[in-house]
Amino acid sequence: MKKSFTFLVALAILTIGGYAHAQSVVLDRIKKAGTIRVGVKTDFPPFGFLNPAGQVIGLEPDMAQDVAKRLGVKLELVPVQSSNRIEFLQQGRIDLMIATLGVNDQRRKVLGYIEPFYYAGGTSLLVRKDAGIKRWEDIKGRDICATQGASYNRLTTQKYGPNLVAFPGNTEALNALLTGSCIGFLQDSTLHASMLSMDASKWAAFETPLPVEDFQPWGIAVALDELGTAYGDQMRQIVTEWHRSGYLLSMEKQWALKPSEFLKDMQARAIKAR
Amino acid sequence: METVSELFRTLNTTYGFDLSIFYDSYDADLFTRGMYFTALLSAASVFGSLFLGVIGAYLQFNGGVVARKFVSAYIQVFRNTPPLIQLYFFFFSLGPSLTSATGMSEPILSNVAWAIVSLTLYAGAFNIEVFRSGVEAVPAATIEAADSLGLSKRQTFLQIILPLAFRISLPGLNNNLVNLIKTTTNAYAIAVPELLYGASQVWSDKLNALEMMIVLLIVYTAVIGLFTWMMGCIERNLAVPGWGRA
Amino acid sequence: MNNQANWRCKVLMRFGLAIVIVLALSEAHATSQESWIDEIAPLWKWMPLLLKGFLVDVGISIAAMLIGTAFGAIIGVGQTLFKGIIRIFCLGLTQFFRNAPWLVLLFFCILLIPHQITVFDWVIPFPPWMKGIIGLALPVMGNVSEVVRGGLISIPSAQWEAADALALNKWQTLRIVILPQALKRMLPPWMNVYAVLIMATPLVSIVGVEDSVTVARSVLSAEGNTALLMPVYGLLLILFYAYCAPIARLARFLEVRYAVK
Repeated sequence: MKKSFTFLVALAILTIGGYAHAQSVVLDRIKKAGTIRVGVKTDFPPFGFLNPAGQVIGLEPDMAQDVAKRLGVKLELVPVQSSNRIEFLQQGRIDLMIATLGVNDQRRKVLGYIEPFYYAGGTSLLVRKDAGIKRWEDIKGRDICATQGASYNRLTTQKYGPNLVAFPGNTEALNALLTGSCIGFLQDSTLHASMLSMDASKWAAFETPLPVEDFQPWGIAVALDELGTAYGDQMRQIVTEWHRSGYLLSMEKQWALKPSEFLKDMQARAIKAR
Repeated sequence: METVSELFRTLNTTYGFDLSIFYDSYDADLFTRGMYFTALLSAASVFGSLFLGVIGAYLQFNGGVVARKFVSAYIQVFRNTPPLIQLYFFFFSLGPSLTSATGMSEPILSNVAWAIVSLTLYAGAFNIEVFRSGVEAVPAATIEAADSLGLSKRQTFLQIILPLAFRISLPGLNNNLVNLIKTTTNAYAIAVPELLYGASQVWSDKLNALEMMIVLLIVYTAVIGLFTWMMGCIERNLAVPGWGRA
Repeated sequence: MNNQANWRCKVLMRFGLAIVIVLALSEAHATSQESWIDEIAPLWKWMPLLLKGFLVDVGISIAAMLIGTAFGAIIGVGQTLFKGIIRIFCLGLTQFFRNAPWLVLLFFCILLIPHQITVFDWVIPFPPWMKGIIGLALPVMGNVSEVVRGGLISIPSAQWEAADALALNKWQTLRIVILPQALKRMLPPWMNVYAVLIMATPLVSIVGVEDSVTVARSVLSAEGNTALLMPVYGLLLILFYAYCAPIARLARFLEVRYAVK
C-alpha cells in the first residue's frame, strides 16, 4: 500500500514537473542585466527607420518598447537587416526579433516563432508606369531590384523568372530603382504602401499594379530553444494581449498604415478565445 | 551525376552538413552564375588594368607636363580612396549623373559594367606604379643605345623598354592582380551576381552559411592558387637570362 | 621653408579641386526646381554623425592592424626561422589568409563567431565591431607575415654566420643583430599593409558594423534625396583621402630613406 502510494506521488511529481516549463536562460539574462535587446529594422518605414537624430523609430520599436515595459526592463534596440537578422538571433546578439520577419517552414527549423503572429504582408512589385507590366508573368527576364535575405526572392524568381538584382539593403535597392538600373522593386506590400503615401511626388512615376501575392504572416521570434520556456510563454501572452486589446490596430493607425483585414481578424479571434 | 546529388542530400539529412549547391538545381545555378561573373569581372579588369598600366607608364615616360600631372593625380586618387566607396560613387552617383546629363532613359552602364570600370581604374593605378618602377629599372645604357640607333621615343618604349619592364615587374604585377581578383568580391555591394553574391543568396534561403563559407574559401584559394601558378609559369618562360634572380 | 610652403599649397589646391569637382557634379545631378545649395544644406546637420562613422573606421583599422601585426610577426618568424611542421603550418596559414578575399573573411567572422563565449565564469562579449576587427586582422596577419619573411631573408646570411662565430644563440642573434636591421626594411611594406587595410575597412559596412558607409546609407535613406548621393559619397572619399595620402607619403619617404644601398 505504502509502496504504491509513494509510486503515485512520485508519478504525480514527475508529471507536474514535466508540465512545468523549462527554465529560460534568456529571461534570466534579461532580468539580471535589466535590459532586453530587440532587433529592429532601420530601413523599412514605417516599421523601423531613422530620424535625423539617428534614433530608430517606427511601429516595431514602439512594440519593442511595450515589451520592455511589460517585462519591467530597459530597452536596447539593435539595428538588423534581412541578411543578418536570423544569425543575430541564433548567436544571441539579440534576445528578441521584431523585424518584419516572414514566417516559413525553413525558418521554423532554426528559430522560434511566437504565435499568434502580429502582422501579415505579401509580395508586391513597385514598378515604373512606363514598363508596361500588367501581370506577374510580364516580369520574366526583366531587371527587378530586391533586398538580400527576403524570403520571397527565391519564390518569385522560380515562379516568374525575372532577373533579380538583390542589394544588401533597402536603401541601395531604392536608389538603384530611382536611377533606372531596374524597372521594379520587389518587396513587401506594406513597404510599398507606406513609401507611396509618405512621398507621393518622388514615386509619381511608379505604381503597384500587380495583385499582392503569397500572403505571409509576420512573426516575432526568439531563439529556438526558448520557444517552450517561460520566456516564450510570456511573449505569447504579450502578443495575444496586443491583439485582444486592439493595441496593434491603434499602432497601425498611428503609423498611417492601410488598415488590414489580418489585424481585425486576429483581434476577433483573440477575443473569442478568451 | 544523380548519385552525386543523392550523396549530398543524404549528407544534409543525416549529418546536417548542407551543401545544397550540389543537389538543388536552383542553388547550383546561382553558384555557377557566380563563378561565371567572378571570372568575367576578373578577366575584364585584369586586362583593362594592364592596358591602363601600360598607357600610364608610357605617359609618365614620354608625356608632356599636363599628361604626367594627370596620371599622377589619377594614381593619387585611386590609391588613396577605398575601392568600395569608389564603386558606390561610380554606380550610385556618377552613373545617374551621366545618364541624366546625356538625357538617356536607361542607365548608360549596367552594374556589372560599372563594377568592371571601377575595378579597372582601381587596379590600373597600382599597375602604373609597378610598371613605372619596372621602366626605371631598365638600364639607362640600353635606352641610350636605342636612341643612338635612331629609334623614336615611342618605338623605344614599345619595342625595348616595355618588354624588359614587363618582365621585371612580373612579381609586383602578380601581387596586384591577385589583389584585384580578391577585390572583385566588392561588387557584391552593387548586386553583381558574382560568387559571393550567389553564395549569400543560397545561405539566406537555406540557412547554411558555414557550409557556403567553406566552399567559397576553397574556391577562391583554388582560383588564386591557379592564377599564381600561371603567373609563375609566365615568369619562368619570360625570364631574361642573367637578369635579377635568374 | 620654401619646400614646406610649396607642399602646403599643393595640398590645399588638391582639396579645393576635389571639393569643387564634387559640388559641380552634384549640381549637374540636382533637380532643376531647387537651387543645389538648398538641396545639399541638409547634409550639414548629418556631418557630426558622418565624421563619427569615419572615426569608427579609423579605430577599427588601428585595432585590426595591432592584432594582425602581433600575430603576423609570430607567424612570419615561424615561417622563416623554423623547419618542418611549424614552418609548413605557418606557411600554409600565411598563404591562406593572403589569398582569401577580405570580404569573404569578414562574412565568415560575422556569421560564425558566436555573440559571446563563456570561459569558466567569464562571459566575453563579441559585438559586431569586434568581429569586424578580427575579420580584418586575419588578412593583415597573412600580409604582415610575408613582410616579416621578406625582411628577415633580406638580411645577408653573413650576419647570421658572424653572430654564430661570436657564440650567440639563435634568439640572441635575432634580438641583437638581425631585428634592428630587418625592422627598418620592414617598415615601408608594413605601412603599405596598413594603407591597404584602411582601404578595406569600409567593407565592414556590408556585414552590419556601423561605420561611415552605414551612416551614409542611413543619411541617404532618411533624406531620400538622390541629389545627396554625390556629396555624401564624395565627402567620404575626401575624408579617406585626407587620412591615407599622408600615410602613403610617409611610407614612400621612409622607403627612400631606409633604402639599402
